[in-house]
Amino acid sequence: MTQAVRLAGVAKTYGPVRAVDGIDLSIGRGETVALLGPNGAGKSTTINMLLGLAEPGEGVIEVFGRSPHEAVQAGKVGAMLQESGFAANARVIEIIELARALYKHPLPTAEVLATAELTEVARRRVDKLSGGQTQRIRFAFALAGNPELLLLDEPTVAMDVESRQSFWAAMRRFTATGRTVLFATHYLAEADDYADRVVVMAHGKVIADGSGSEIKKMAGGRTMSFRLNGTGDGLADLPGVTAVEVRGDRILLRCDDSDAAVQALIHSGRAYRDLEITGAGLEAAFLTLTSANGKE
Amino acid sequence: MLAFLKFEARRLLREPRAIVLTLVLPVLVYTISSGNQGDVGGLDVAAYLMVSMAAYGVLVGVMTVGISVSQERASGWLRQLRITPLSPGKVVVSKALLGSLLAVPVVLAVGVTAVASHGVSLGIDRWAALIGLLWLGSLPFAALGLALGFSLPPQLTQPVSMLGVFGLSFLGGLFVPTEVMPKALAQISGWLPSNRYAELGRSIVLHHAPPARGVLILAGWAVIFALLAMTAYRRSAAAK
Repeated sequence: MTQAVRLAGVAKTYGPVRAVDGIDLSIGRGETVALLGPNGAGKSTTINMLLGLAEPGEGVIEVFGRSPHEAVQAGKVGAMLQESGFAANARVIEIIELARALYKHPLPTAEVLATAELTEVARRRVDKLSGGQTQRIRFAFALAGNPELLLLDEPTVAMDVESRQSFWAAMRRFTATGRTVLFATHYLAEADDYADRVVVMAHGKVIADGSGSEIKKMAGGRTMSFRLNGTGDGLADLPGVTAVEVRGDRILLRCDDSDAAVQALIHSGRAYRDLEITGAGLEAAFLTLTSANGKE
Repeated sequence: MLAFLKFEARRLLREPRAIVLTLVLPVLVYTISSGNQGDVGGLDVAAYLMVSMAAYGVLVGVMTVGISVSQERASGWLRQLRITPLSPGKVVVSKALLGSLLAVPVVLAVGVTAVASHGVSLGIDRWAALIGLLWLGSLPFAALGLALGFSLPPQLTQPVSMLGVFGLSFLGGLFVPTEVMPKALAQISGWLPSNRYAELGRSIVLHHAPPARGVLILAGWAVIFALLAMTAYRRSAAAK
């Protein structure tokens, strides 16, 4: 079976800026992939090219084995874009009915409304909606045609914590039916929590590609910190420790194997207090990865 | 496409004030200026001005489609539509079709005023022909409005459209008949779509077949404006 998405050597230049600088990426059917990166990393440009809204300057893009434009025309793709809006004086229900009418195998209206939590505002005009509700109607519009591939550009950007959670719950139900999802985000926790696979972008390039935990590992695992009575000499030689940092009266040990480091610390008989171990988190991983790339 | 037409028609009917406002201006100008007796180009003033003012009103009304398009472009609605299976060509054609339909109430309103105030009488068949032809003939202006809407930002589309309407109306002889224009100006006028559009209407009132030359010129402009609209649409889509 063909891949859902395939990019080979794709580049896109806007004037002097190389927004996307040679990307190779394949996404299999049924995968949920996060495109993670800071603003200006090339995420939106990549998504726009996958929708045929922008033409790549170089390289090849295929969506279900065809050109992005053909895939969109065939109703295989739904998308939530940051800059998209709606006809001002239309009602929510009219927008959704229109979206459904444009696709061959739409989802039932009631299901779309319920999934996007718009049932209560169905008769309201779209220009009378809040920011979070506007974002949800973008979701509803993307969902209505029951597409095989969903492309989401910063989908939760105007949502509060609660609607963010219910958004991802709805998304989980959708992906459970075997759909493919690619979402761009700079919410690092989102990428870690909701994607099977995280693709990190910076400066128009893919700089890392793996599961959330793999990405974290690449950037240096966990951090162990504690207060220490006495000198910190020799801590750098403990197994599993990669670096030592002193911050006030706390010692920070960066570890690639925190289990081994804890054991060694206990056996060394040092007098420590208030031990904490934290995962570096995708945030730290992300900073390490992107700043390393920036220095090139 | 049918679903989109229905959707757009519903939105249009939701704003009856916009439609009513479009009708007020030509009816008002007609009422004020049609008091004179006499005739122009074989038609009495009341009938001549009825066609001119209907044509002017149609231009104003039909070209507003460009203003709404430029707003929808800015709001991202057209972009949203572009990522659905609805093809861009169908969006443009639907907009032009619905925009041009505004011609019908405008011609009706000015016609009713002319009948009521000056007893202009045509008979059912000629009224129907007048409305039908003035609707068809309004398509080039809808295309021009769309070309402007797709190429200009919203704050510029309105003044530029209005300038276009006034320029075309004035030079096309809708305010001052070509019969009393300086010769050079009258010659230019003969090449303008607005002039040939009004001529189309007058020929019905006069019981003539529309002159072939005039229809050709109007059709020529229709092609030019439609191409302009398509090009502007493609460029606006590529730019954003």
